[in-house]
Amino acid sequence: MDRRTFLKIKAQGALWLAGGCAGWIHPPDASAAVVPDIAVAKGRPAAAARAAVELLGGMGRFVKKGNRVLIKPNMSFAVPPERAANTHPEVIRELAVMCKEVGASKVSVLDNPLARGELCLEMSGIKAACDLIDDQMVHIVDNDAMFQEVRIPEGRSLDSTDVMKEALRADVLLAAPVAKSHSSAGVSLSMKGMMGLIYNRRALHWRDLNTGIVDLVSVLKADLTVIDATRVLSTGGPGGPGRVLKKDTVIASADMVAADAYVVSLFEWYGRFYQPSQVPHIREAHERGLGRMDVKNLTVRTVTV
Amino acid sequence: MGWRRAVQSASLLIFLASLAAAAFDLNLGFWPPDVFLRMDPALVGLTAVSARMISLAFLPAAVVLILGPLIGRFFCGWVCPMGTTLDGGGKLFGSRPVKKSDLRGWRSIKYLGLAFLLGAALLGVSFVFTAAPLSLITRFYGLVLLPVLMFLTDGVLNVIRPLGDRLDIPTLTYARILIPRFTTQFFVLALFVSLAALARVAPRFWCRCLCPAGALLALASWRPYIRRSVSAACTGCGLCAGHCPMGAIPLENPKTTCYSECIFCRTCEKVCPVGAVAFSRTRRPIAAASEERPSPRRQFLLTGLAGLGTAAVGLTGLHTLQAKPGEGQVAPPGLLRPPGTRPEADFLSRCVRCGECMVACPTNTLQPVWFAAGPLGMFSPLLTPRRGYCDPHCHRCAQVCPTGAIRRLPDPERLWAKTGTAMVIRQKCLAWEHQKSCMVCDEVCPFDAVEFLLEPGNPVPVPHVIEDRCAGCGYCEHFCPVQNQAAIIVIPMGEIRLAKGSYLTEGRRRGLQLTLKPLESVGPAGEIPVPDQGPAPGFTLDAPPDSGETLSPGGEGAPEPAPGFTR
Repeated sequence: MDRRTFLKIKAQGALWLAGGCAGWIHPPDASAAVVPDIAVAKGRPAAAARAAVELLGGMGRFVKKGNRVLIKPNMSFAVPPERAANTHPEVIRELAVMCKEVGASKVSVLDNPLARGELCLEMSGIKAACDLIDDQMVHIVDNDAMFQEVRIPEGRSLDSTDVMKEALRADVLLAAPVAKSHSSAGVSLSMKGMMGLIYNRRALHWRDLNTGIVDLVSVLKADLTVIDATRVLSTGGPGGPGRVLKKDTVIASADMVAADAYVVSLFEWYGRFYQPSQVPHIREAHERGLGRMDVKNLTVRTVTV
Repeated sequence: MGWRRAVQSASLLIFLASLAAAAFDLNLGFWPPDVFLRMDPALVGLTAVSARMISLAFLPAAVVLILGPLIGRFFCGWVCPMGTTLDGGGKLFGSRPVKKSDLRGWRSIKYLGLAFLLGAALLGVSFVFTAAPLSLITRFYGLVLLPVLMFLTDGVLNVIRPLGDRLDIPTLTYARILIPRFTTQFFVLALFVSLAALARVAPRFWCRCLCPAGALLALASWRPYIRRSVSAACTGCGLCAGHCPMGAIPLENPKTTCYSECIFCRTCEKVCPVGAVAFSRTRRPIAAASEERPSPRRQFLLTGLAGLGTAAVGLTGLHTLQAKPGEGQVAPPGLLRPPGTRPEADFLSRCVRCGECMVACPTNTLQPVWFAAGPLGMFSPLLTPRRGYCDPHCHRCAQVCPTGAIRRLPDPERLWAKTGTAMVIRQKCLAWEHQKSCMVCDEVCPFDAVEFLLEPGNPVPVPHVIEDRCAGCGYCEHFCPVQNQAAIIVIPMGEIRLAKGSYLTEGRRRGLQLTLKPLESVGPAGEIPVPDQGPAPGFTLDAPPDSGETLSPGGEGAPEPAPGFTR
């Protein structure tokens, strides 16, 4: 993005903001027909996940009949849901059910975890939850034969990486991370979560982690992002143990950057509130035009279920 | 296929199933995976001497030995997986029946070998791994064949995987084969191939001339109760002598038998044209072959002394540790032993280097060493965190150890079996040296033993190891994103090695605090330092560094202190 486009977007943002304040464009009680940029639902994990996606226009907006869907959860740590290091199993199951409801031909829940795969499947509870729908839905993918090299034309730190084959084959990529802090990247949300779809995650550390995450998002852009903030790991992420905030919230958006940015601004991290622009990879993704972090200029709708 | 082939195959199959049970953590019910190892009379007998121990676990070998006077070397011919494998391997190399020589002179080598091993064992040195058949064969199947088999299976899987993708068979698409990888595999292979190739000289060359277990059994089957007997119908044609795979029938007098060499294969019975040979409890007089003698007593004693001497040379090696570690003892650097391993001298006197622990290790961190543990430590297990971490909940290595060289520890004890201590190599560390925000070692540490602190002059927090909390499990070294040698490595410093007594008590005595990060409950409010001013880890100050805004000290872009000064 050049400076001019950047300024243009900024100017547009300012206009939208002005419009919003004046109540022209989106009066606070917009009609239900208007689809918000960011949907926020409060309630129990499964109900909130469903409500958030419904607010965005329903799963049918993202998944068409016969589509293959890849859901990318956080299940990288062999810890139970209370630790908030993995996505809540009920959120994942509800998303899978919703995909099936609108006619997805295949739903896969895949991750390339840090800890021992079998333990992650067991302790996270995600496999057990999804087995009720299809016992071949949740898998650990860590064998190099299941990855394929992908060029990253817009990469600044990475010019290519090996990506999970199913991620390339799927029609719809659904990012379903848990909201958690991350010692190196500030937060680990939908964008950071894409590291679970590649083979060599180490390579990102010895290059620039933040730029690497954004490079990755330039080729792995989720069609729908649903962030599980039913529990927020506010400190000690990504693995914990840390301070877990019980927030009973699920945030959804078609824009990964906006979803991540909104989650950053919504909760406290290490006891303080931050602007999305204070998270380097969110800021860089915004600047490189992959999505918008200026959440103040976006429409947000909240429901409680 | 006769009875013997069937029993041999079944026995080999059970042996392989036991090994597979160790490798894949299968439960064979009452059948422990290391039974075959404990059937080997040489392995058990010599370990009993070198480790000065008697154990109920040694019962299988005692049974095999006690059966000697009853049914002779039945074990060698019908049960021993080494014998069966060499029979098969011999076919591969085209073994030929020995007509001219039955290698009578060479047969005594095995007694001398036994004497040598016994001499060394008297000084507490175990050379069992060089010759005990079950140690050799377990190592061969476990460290050479198993990985190759897994490698090939993985290859086949990768070939047919696209088919699974196309037909949408997730079981096939996501099937994962973890290929174990070991060092020294070519040495194990070379040794084994040469033993099989000796079949070119004579069938079962190993069993008749070299095997120390064979030697022990030969001594026990001097005059077995059930034995080969030849009736008066014998024409003395010598066909049996030509076919005997052990050369136990002298060509010049086939009516006699060298009982200590007979493995009860009953080939002679089968080939006899007049049906004069029988294997039964017999009242016929013992007809021992005239040349049947183990070896001259003087030679036996001298070889025993040679073994003793060799052991003494080994014991004077620079890296050989004495029973009580003290000043001036040069422990081999980087020698990380599995959790629960006895003190080094005690351990080496027990470890038979069968490789069972390495086969059983789910993360493949256990590797056979070549000379890294000194000449007496060849093929003993080494933790290799770069390859795999040592799961603090897992103790499979101990569960399959046939001699208790790695002690089996119940639950709280296992956690306290500290294998070493992690150490940060600051010059390689992304945070220390390259000032990049990386906390992988802290994220993966199961014990919460890595602490990140802000240091003057570095915008990112850097790792410090809290030694008292570190169990040496190697998660940090394994997952460190720095290439080649990790920037955090585990060294044996502070390891706990006990021959007896409680690891927990010893650990507490040393002031250790080995506790796992809590799983169920929510932990403390994050130990990652959050500066009073400046951003939390991973966050930046809102304004870009070039915006000219005032920066708070301690944050990104803060002025560097003068050399030697602190902030």
